[in-house]
Amino acid sequence: MGIGLKVRRLALLAGMAVCALGLSAAEAAEKHKIFLSMSYIGNDWQAEAANMIKAMAAHKSLADKVDLQVQVAGPNAQRQIQQINAMVQSGAEAIVVYPISPTALNQVVKNACDKGVKVFAYDAEITEPCAYNVHIDQLEAGRVTAEWLVKKLNGKGNIIAITGVPGTSVDDQRTKAAKEVFAKYPEIKIVGEAVGMWSQAVARTELSKILATRNWNDINGLWMQVGCFTANSMQLEAGKKASELLPCAGEGSNGGRIQMLPEGTDVEGAAPPYAPAGAQRISYASPPYSGALALKLAVEAIEGKDVPKTTILPLPLVTNETIKLCDEGTWAEMKAGCNVFKPSLVSNPGWFASIFSDQTPEIGLNAALVGQPEN
Amino acid sequence: MSSAAISSPVSTGFGLRRALTRHRGALIAAIVLATLLFIVDWISAGPLTYFDVSFLSSGGATSALAAVGQTIVILSGGFDLSAGAVISLVNVVLASSMDPMAPGASILLWTAVGIGVGMAVGAFNGFFIAVLRMQPIVVTLSTMFILQGVTLLVMDKPGGFVSPDLGTFYLGDAITGWLPMPLVVIGVVLLAWFWLKGTRFGTALYAVGSDPDSAAAVGINVVLVRFAVYVIAGGCYGLAGVFISAQTGSGDPLVGNPLLLSMFAAVVVGGTRLGGGQGGPVGTVFGAYILMMVVNILLVLNVSAYYSTIAEGTILVLAALAGSLSHASVLAVQLRAARARIAAWRAGILPSQIEAIDRRLKIAGPTQNQRGLASPRPAFRLRNAETLRYALPAYVCLLIIVIVTQVWLGRTILNPGYWNSLLVLSSFLAVLALGQGTVILTGGLDLSVPWTIGISGIILAGMVNGSDAALLYALPVVLVMACAIGFANGFGIAYLGISPIVMTLATNGILQGFALIYSQGTPAGFSSPMLRWFMTAKLGFVTPIVLLMVVFVAGAVLLLGRTPFGRRVYGIGNGLRAARLSGIGVERTLILVYMLSAVCAAVVGIMLTGFSGQASLGMGDDYLLPSIAVVVVGGALITGGRGHYLGMLGGVLLLTALQMLLAGTTLPYATRAILYGLVVLGAVMALRERRLQ
Repeated sequence: MGIGLKVRRLALLAGMAVCALGLSAAEAAEKHKIFLSMSYIGNDWQAEAANMIKAMAAHKSLADKVDLQVQVAGPNAQRQIQQINAMVQSGAEAIVVYPISPTALNQVVKNACDKGVKVFAYDAEITEPCAYNVHIDQLEAGRVTAEWLVKKLNGKGNIIAITGVPGTSVDDQRTKAAKEVFAKYPEIKIVGEAVGMWSQAVARTELSKILATRNWNDINGLWMQVGCFTANSMQLEAGKKASELLPCAGEGSNGGRIQMLPEGTDVEGAAPPYAPAGAQRISYASPPYSGALALKLAVEAIEGKDVPKTTILPLPLVTNETIKLCDEGTWAEMKAGCNVFKPSLVSNPGWFASIFSDQTPEIGLNAALVGQPEN
Repeated sequence: MSSAAISSPVSTGFGLRRALTRHRGALIAAIVLATLLFIVDWISAGPLTYFDVSFLSSGGATSALAAVGQTIVILSGGFDLSAGAVISLVNVVLASSMDPMAPGASILLWTAVGIGVGMAVGAFNGFFIAVLRMQPIVVTLSTMFILQGVTLLVMDKPGGFVSPDLGTFYLGDAITGWLPMPLVVIGVVLLAWFWLKGTRFGTALYAVGSDPDSAAAVGINVVLVRFAVYVIAGGCYGLAGVFISAQTGSGDPLVGNPLLLSMFAAVVVGGTRLGGGQGGPVGTVFGAYILMMVVNILLVLNVSAYYSTIAEGTILVLAALAGSLSHASVLAVQLRAARARIAAWRAGILPSQIEAIDRRLKIAGPTQNQRGLASPRPAFRLRNAETLRYALPAYVCLLIIVIVTQVWLGRTILNPGYWNSLLVLSSFLAVLALGQGTVILTGGLDLSVPWTIGISGIILAGMVNGSDAALLYALPVVLVMACAIGFANGFGIAYLGISPIVMTLATNGILQGFALIYSQGTPAGFSSPMLRWFMTAKLGFVTPIVLLMVVFVAGAVLLLGRTPFGRRVYGIGNGLRAARLSGIGVERTLILVYMLSAVCAAVVGIMLTGFSGQASLGMGDDYLLPSIAVVVVGGALITGGRGHYLGMLGGVLLLTALQMLLAGTTLPYATRAILYGLVVLGAVMALRERRLQ
């Protein structure tokens, strides 16, 4: 960790302490009172999304307009229900929410809408019609990645599938769409399937279990919701050469994308397995900027602009043909087409790299890392 | 832990005072809740209206109803981990079977369906626990897995339909503007409980919870009471499931699962003692509402996101402390003891200050040699009969699983790669089993394992950042931090008298907050090459960690079986008071036990960081329930005092081998969950308690 980063963290901590004390009432009164209700913040994706939302609220275009309060409900839908209601009671104009359940919140969201509160759900969906939803098309994500894999394998081969959290709509849609594609090719066989919980660490344990009775040589391809970085690392550990890595359709972690760069590319801070390996990949993601965009749309909605009820985000897809290294990770640079960050800037390979949106010039790499907006 | 009962004041003769003493837990919970309500009312913008009260009452109702069921189980000396899963199951059953086209839904019918499903599950639990005399924690853990599978079979994603009629009824007003329906529902349940408590069954329930042997001796049908307890509790969870269905108007297969841990917290905050015999559902209802009120408190205080779990943990500890403020509380006893010790020190009569003279009577005992001649040591099989009886089943089942894997998937028994993977994947739980196992042997439970793992891994990865040299100082730093975590847990439990579940649950939340603040949500750094080598390289067919594990296992067996520390642990587990009277430093030992558990968790955090190459938030989340399960499957008694580390190791190997078998198949997740639960249940069949005499 560089000294600079440490200093930045300290400054941020101090800033947060000030924020925790709360703004004076008079100051807050002129601003739109907006709440963020997060579910569980104990994983990388949630924390990154939260950073980006905070950065968006701190950007100069919104800082004078928005009084954002962030609350965490934990994994319990009951508590999120109560939290949303408490937010409504304390005068929220809009509530941005990462919904724990697409259906369980319907009643309380309807109740909020009836009181004129705009409710924006990001990443996952709320099925209550009065809620605004900002997310990707999960069916498309499952379909496109499966089609890519089938094409890479010429319609023939043994594959392993690592799914997400069972019982969620997101996992259900992605897996179903992918399996529909695989079913069209009788020579594609799913020989192993495990629940990956959208975590690199779990993906590793599950793959180890599957490979205890199998050999990498019996497998031709991988379809994983999260875990390609880990799968590639494991193959390298097992003695495979970089050129022999199996094609892997999976998530948009920065580590996985660095591995997609041609072998031998000079990248600052790279160390195997977090290093270029020319891995054959398609990288997709549920982008963590969706919450920040939802906040921006919420302000627009409060100000009376016409905001559509459903915003389907373009599916961020990166293949070996389109992979491009960012230098600093500013929004302008990403706009020019770069989509992966140096390990010297992003030391966590499991960090989600799909942070670019045409619609959010307020936030770039620093927003996702430490919650600082672009200038 | 009968200290509270013994030191409570002798009957004063005043009915009111006695009633106050007896219901102290519930009263204090009520006062805490009132205080929280006052705080919210005072700080928030407007005064609390009827609408707020009505909404708060429905918000806490699901967990309150379920926690009432849990309380009854705990009063009878049991433990029910299937509660959350029952709620999910009832929710999806209702949501998938109601017809959206039907004009109206019969509230009575669907409530009966929900309660019926819950009672059926309760009967399943009750059969294995009461009739087959198996440990509640294993049975209900298996039931939890089975139900999660069944729930996903009924409904594999959120959706479905619950008639709004149900919502209108359960969330509406009993008396418009005065009395919300959820409070009436809870009131009815509590009235039913008071009636039950007054019957012979109620007395029997408390008796069985206090001491099953004495209860059986006075002619109580212990089997029947226990069976009925789980059925009644199942009914409560079923009603909670109906309520959440009414509240959400739809089904979600995951809705009930996160309620489980907070349910235990509600029970303890409400003044019921884990282990049975003391407390009651009234306090639990207040406890459940206290926990839900925390959401509102955090909001009005505008606690920022990363600090929220810290604030929550602190509130939990404070609530538990408030509940134990009295002359007889552990804290008060400890303070008095400390005062006595200081006085003794001043007077110079502390044992350590008195000249050490051996005052024991001199008896000419036989020397070591003579004893050997006089009575030959019994055979190994006889000396270790008890240990073997409880440890062997896990190994037998392991053998069966391995054979099944060979037949089903092939390439197992003769494949060194299989055995190596089995041992590497087992190593994490094997280390955790020592820590959690030792805590369980003393009759406690360590719920702070997940984030002790998480924060250790994150801090280690951040400090090491790929450098082997940095490991030299990073490892000690992380281990010392773990000692501090364990010390805090142990101190809270031993000196402040906070129940282990509440204390470690709070610590877990506080650690989560620290991990988030430290990492700013994005853990930095990665493991060093050496650490990776330990966890993933191969020396021939063997990963280095496997060799270390052999040493670790030997050390663990010696620690628990051959050291004074180990004997003190078993002593405390078998009887706290007896242990104290025989001169064991109970407080000191307990603190050491929790330190051991935290250090084990930290080691797992370090190992996981090496295994995955980096640390991630939530990396320890999947290790809490398994760490408890392996200990119990390995033959340990959840109430403490019985168990052998080698048995726990067998449990670790068995569960890991089972997961490897299931991962190798392409069965759907729901089926796997059901199979997993059934196998665990089958494996512990052999661990049945002997028939009560």
